[in-house]
Amino acid sequence: MATNLLEVNNLKTYFYTRGGVVKAVNDVSFTIKPGETLGVVGESGCGKSVTALSVMHLIANPPGKIVDGHINFNGEDLLEKSTEELSDIRGSKISMIFQDPMTSLNPVFTVGYQIAETVKRHRKDVTNDQAWKRTVEMLDLVHIPDAKRRAKSYPHEFSGGMRQRVMIAIALACNPQLLIADEPTTALDVTIQAQVLELMKGLSQKYRTAVMLITHDLGVVAGTCQHVNVMYAGHIIESASVKQIFETPAHPYTVGLLQSIPRLDEQRGTRLTSIPGQPPDLINPLVGCPYAPRCPKVQARCHEERPELMPVGRGEQVAACFYPN
Amino acid sequence: MIQFLLKRLVGLIFVLFCVTFITFIMGYLAPGDPIHFIMGQHFNVKLYLQLRHLYGLDLPWYQQYFNFLVHILHFDFGYSYKQQQLTVISIITTNLPVTLELGVWALLLQFLIGIPLGILCAIKANTWIDTANMGTALLVYSIPGFVLAVFVRFAIAQIDQATGAGWPPTGWGNPWQYTWPDIQAKLAPILVFALGGAAYIARLARTSMLEVLRQDYIRTARAKGLRERIVIYRHALRNALIPLVTTFGYSLGFLVTGAFFIENIFNIPGLGSITVTSVSTRDYPVIQATVILLTIAIVLGNLLSDILYMIIDPRIKAE
Amino acid sequence: MSIQDKNTEMNDAGGMLSTTPISSPLHESTVDVDNQQEKPDQQKSLTPSQQSMRRFLQDKRAVISLGMIVFLVLVAIVGPPIYQHIGTPYTNDAGKQVGPEVYHNPYRHDLDFEDLPISARFWLGTDSVGADLLARLMQSLLISLSVAAAVEVVDILFGVTIGVLAGYYGGWIDQVLARITDVMFAFPGLLFAILLTGILGPASDQFLDTLPVIGQYGNARLIIVSIAFALTSWPVMARYVRGQTLQIKANQYIEAARTVGSSDFKIITRHIVPNLISIVIVASTLNIAGTIIGEAGISLLGLGVQDPGSSLGLMIAERADAIDTPHPWEVLLPCIVLAIIVLAFSFLGDGLRDTFDPRSKD
Repeated sequence: MATNLLEVNNLKTYFYTRGGVVKAVNDVSFTIKPGETLGVVGESGCGKSVTALSVMHLIANPPGKIVDGHINFNGEDLLEKSTEELSDIRGSKISMIFQDPMTSLNPVFTVGYQIAETVKRHRKDVTNDQAWKRTVEMLDLVHIPDAKRRAKSYPHEFSGGMRQRVMIAIALACNPQLLIADEPTTALDVTIQAQVLELMKGLSQKYRTAVMLITHDLGVVAGTCQHVNVMYAGHIIESASVKQIFETPAHPYTVGLLQSIPRLDEQRGTRLTSIPGQPPDLINPLVGCPYAPRCPKVQARCHEERPELMPVGRGEQVAACFYPN
Repeated sequence: MIQFLLKRLVGLIFVLFCVTFITFIMGYLAPGDPIHFIMGQHFNVKLYLQLRHLYGLDLPWYQQYFNFLVHILHFDFGYSYKQQQLTVISIITTNLPVTLELGVWALLLQFLIGIPLGILCAIKANTWIDTANMGTALLVYSIPGFVLAVFVRFAIAQIDQATGAGWPPTGWGNPWQYTWPDIQAKLAPILVFALGGAAYIARLARTSMLEVLRQDYIRTARAKGLRERIVIYRHALRNALIPLVTTFGYSLGFLVTGAFFIENIFNIPGLGSITVTSVSTRDYPVIQATVILLTIAIVLGNLLSDILYMIIDPRIKAE
Repeated sequence: MSIQDKNTEMNDAGGMLSTTPISSPLHESTVDVDNQQEKPDQQKSLTPSQQSMRRFLQDKRAVISLGMIVFLVLVAIVGPPIYQHIGTPYTNDAGKQVGPEVYHNPYRHDLDFEDLPISARFWLGTDSVGADLLARLMQSLLISLSVAAAVEVVDILFGVTIGVLAGYYGGWIDQVLARITDVMFAFPGLLFAILLTGILGPASDQFLDTLPVIGQYGNARLIIVSIAFALTSWPVMARYVRGQTLQIKANQYIEAARTVGSSDFKIITRHIVPNLISIVIVASTLNIAGTIIGEAGISLLGLGVQDPGSSLGLMIAERADAIDTPHPWEVLLPCIVLAIIVLAFSFLGDGLRDTFDPRSKD
């Protein structure tokens, strides 16, 4: 079994605000193997983006702070590294793309410049010409037509989908081992979504890049990931292979998520199912299971003790529930 | 781009028409008969009519306005009422270099002090450096320039007394010359003049920089592994400076009006003081001339900064 | 802190931009969404106006500024009459009794009392012609505040009316307004004021000084000065209001109101203008600061209030050379008073702006 590319242990990231301390990521542990695509699913505010930014060590401080935990990448703890070492890793070993392509590119530099900049930053021995060649190569790779000419264009001359491709080009230019994609297709049209996801899937397979794909859309997960983490209230409450998540979901929250997806084969007139209740309070987390207030299977124990991730079913599937499915 | 320029030029011409017309009408409607004034004691009907004809004052108002405009285009503002041997232009050109020197230096200093200060405060936002500087800037910017000027003059006088340094509290040295006595005389007025603008620009630069630092593309730059120095000075700065370009033109308006006060408090013989004296002596041609010239400068300044803005921001260029 | 805010906060920290909808602050009659969710231990939500009030009171600088302004306004209005009754009469060289209503009069010239420092009789000393400085300062303050108030009233009346019409209807009103503001931007207020006072000033002294109260004591020019500033401020206000009107107009509740059949007049008065109030208040406060500076400036240049009247600017101009003398307070005092009142209005304006739109703070 290959050693893990990324090992996150007991990560805690808090935000210190005027209203209180927001425990955005509250004891999260997971691993990613080389070449594996991990999906991280959850509703807005569950902590998935903050987890990703913590791995990249891009949490704005103030008000945020990684309070505890270890992030082991290739065996080394990223949280112990200096700023210089971290900036060496970002963009070359671990890359990240973000949700809104419209604002993620600097409007005053050409697209080609922004790609070449990454190359030159991380490959010191590369000449300007070589960097530019690589830039055009990357643009071709992400299927930007007429790459040589378009490299000299500015971001505002591209559509949303194309800008996201440019972002992918920037992220993959230095052949990273891990690509973190934070809701990369949420802001795009559905048809473009499919294209961009296909692109990512193809490239990651070709270059054996591990991918951490963050999304709230289970459909996206189904098509691209091998393994899935489901997050809620700053915890991972279920972790399983993609097949297991869809076929035998264990945690009631996962079950609820799957049930709330409208289905084509449902009878007309059936009401849509939703998960009742409020999103969790991250400043004053409840004692016990964070999902307890909304869980249809809740028992007394759920309010008193917080369940850890424990094996359910077969294989590696784990869920943090005392009364899983 | 050409289209835009043409539109602006048309607007500019319209504005100039209005301004010249307003200035002209003021002079025309001004109570008091200038010829009477000039003749003073030696009133003689024949001479009066001759003079009226000479000054073109017996023509209908629209013709007078037309002549007015034509003359302006030749930079001919007529003769001063007060000092009849001198043309208005000569009076203005005598005093213009002084005001120009004051204004140019102040403009330069404003930006040279303001922008770095603002950027620094943005980078160190909410630290004591930021609060201290921005607090001072707020004070300096809110207090009117001439009040600051008085305080500074007072400070100079006190320092003079205490140390016997002998810095001249008022007056201006030789225009555009920089011997030590010249610098002594000019330093205080220029600094005071620049301070208000610098404070304003610093606040603007800080806000702009903070706004830019919040943008997604800055996060992308960091995620790419770029060093913080590069992120700030290459990616953020250029975007932050764009809105500041437009202040360049507008600050001309403030400069022009501020000059009046600084010249007054520091007894500087520039365009401002000429205008003020000509008001009390009812030397209308001089007043009109300075107002028109200054307005033209302001309008051109605005146009210049609009053009600069277009050049700098690639998003606008495309339109 | 509501759930909404927290999620936004987190999203901001996570780097994603949050979008907060611009809601109509005045529609308290619409369903109060907050109260619908079950929050048993949440207090009753405050209306936006109450929230603003609370925010304002938390801004110490703004509250102090407001207090200072109120104080100075009171001093300017009630000060002189009171002051003229304080103090004991003294006997002068001619053997006459001179009471406080005489020697505390700002227009009095008495060369026996030139350049005196602070004393019991003259609370802030006297100036070069023997007039009581405190009395003159109070008079000047009154003038500054009056001019500013007058200008602001015109500014608001014209600016808001024309701005709203231009923004709401567009068309020729908008075009004309745009042209006018173009010209006004080119013609700085000061230049225009110089032009106006310079050319019409001396005449106004002659014609207007017959007016009661205002016209005497060289204050006649104030009318011209006020007109000049009013003329140059309202286009700026109108432009600003126009912009805001356009923004408000784009909101869906305006569309909703129209679908329900509200007339234009109703929409304007009930939806647009109330939403403009906060913005207009901020702009006015800041404009008042500017007018005070402007009036002082004009008087400084000798084009405004004339002797024997007093204006802060005039006092500064008259005694600018006092800096080198043993009695510099004659020029420093008006400077300080001017600085204080301008700072007070500026800080108040800033505070108001932060209250009504906290997002504009860094």
